[in-house]
Amino acid sequence: MSVTEWLHGDADVWMIQDLLRGVIDPEVGVDIVNLGLIYGLSVSPDGAATIRMTLTTPGCPLSGYMDDAVHDVLWGAPGINSVDLQIVWDPPWDTSMMSVQAKRELGWIR
Amino acid sequence: MTGQSIGLTTARRRRGGWVAPLMIGAVVILLAALWSGLVHLGLPLPSGGVSLHKGHGPMMILGFLGTVIALERAVALGARWAYIGPAAAALGGLGVLFAVPDGVPQMLVTVGGLALVGVFVAVDRIQRSLHNFVLASGAVCWVVAGCLWLSGWEVYEFLPWMAGFLVLTITGERLELSRLTGTSTTGRRLFMVAAAVFAAGLVVSTVTEDAGVRLAGIGLLCLALWLGRYDIARRTVRTKGLTRYMAAALLTGYAWMAVAGILWIVFGRLTAAVSHQASYDAMLHALFLGFVISMIFAHAPIIIPSVLGRPLPYHPVLYVPLALLHLSLLLRLILGDAVDNTVAWQWGGILNEVALLLFMVIVVYRLFLHKPTRRRTRSAAA
Repeated sequence: MSVTEWLHGDADVWMIQDLLRGVIDPEVGVDIVNLGLIYGLSVSPDGAATIRMTLTTPGCPLSGYMDDAVHDVLWGAPGINSVDLQIVWDPPWDTSMMSVQAKRELGWIR
Repeated sequence: MTGQSIGLTTARRRRGGWVAPLMIGAVVILLAALWSGLVHLGLPLPSGGVSLHKGHGPMMILGFLGTVIALERAVALGARWAYIGPAAAALGGLGVLFAVPDGVPQMLVTVGGLALVGVFVAVDRIQRSLHNFVLASGAVCWVVAGCLWLSGWEVYEFLPWMAGFLVLTITGERLELSRLTGTSTTGRRLFMVAAAVFAAGLVVSTVTEDAGVRLAGIGLLCLALWLGRYDIARRTVRTKGLTRYMAAALLTGYAWMAVAGILWIVFGRLTAAVSHQASYDAMLHALFLGFVISMIFAHAPIIIPSVLGRPLPYHPVLYVPLALLHLSLLLRLILGDAVDNTVAWQWGGILNEVALLLFMVIVVYRLFLHKPTRRRTRSAAA
């Protein structure tokens, strides 16, 4: 997708996913999409984006940081008028949810 | 674009209006404890009274760090009752500062510890995990320390339990993150053995100080070696920016934890009525300054925004207080404690505090005075 198309287009889940790759877990240095923390994305015709995500553990002190970072990267995105971020714990996150790229960056795969 | 609005729903729900006052309370307690630290170093300053002078350790550990740790957990859980923890810890710390009747600060910090145990019980009901059990064990150590303080024990007698609170809290977090690097079952078992040895040392120290502290020292050394082998910081130190800074602070902290473990094994006794006794000073500050404050320096750039909801943009200048902390601690422990040079010991202690204050100044500047470009654009658009 070109920049012009992106700016004038409607919001879609792929665009949201691309933007969410900009949210890096600073402790790990890997983004939340590749860490497998995003469970679901949807966007309604009126531009309401719903994001279902988890954290590596409940009670994680980074939850507020992640929450703000997700809202920050989606602010001003074309076609998105509001964001509903839902943090869920079912299913529990485990390392099998990480992408191959994340595993490579974290030394699982050489 | 002007008409768009993004609702910061979940974060705003989690952060109550009392977060900022609690943080201010924690900072006041820290400043008072730092003042008391200068008096302990023998500087000619007003002592501020017996309560403040004797309460230096509990104020730093249960007052300041207790408030901050319980607050980050309360914000993460998002339940109103969870704020009892940081509120009670802050009031307890302030109680020491203002010399309220004996027993009240002790009672308050113990309540704070109990509330933190409650937070981990709540987390356990959401999702059971080994690391949460370790974190809960750290909070139990806080409660034990508070109870011993309440029952009239001297500070140096329950210091191992205060160490237990911080060590198990921090290492429990690191155990959780170690999953991301694929730590094996054997690796996790090794962690549990090291943590169990450390915890056993705490229990034994209440009966037989010498043996207990040495056993806890073995546990500390094993935990430090485990962190050096399995922690994600070994990998992330090769990245850049904030992630690299955090890893550098973590790894240097682990080195101090190993030093503390060795000192605890060698000396085996914390009992010392005179706070500047060399071995006592080294055993405490290798752990509480070298390890714990390094962890605070590592995590503050992400925990403070998480708690306050304000961005704290990373800047490499954060390496300056970090380096000063470690270099001044080397001065304090080697030329001060080991060589027994009082002037070097005092300068080391003063520079330790300068490092902490410098870190705070940088954080406050970047939180409240520095204007990131992106936020400015955002305000202009709104």
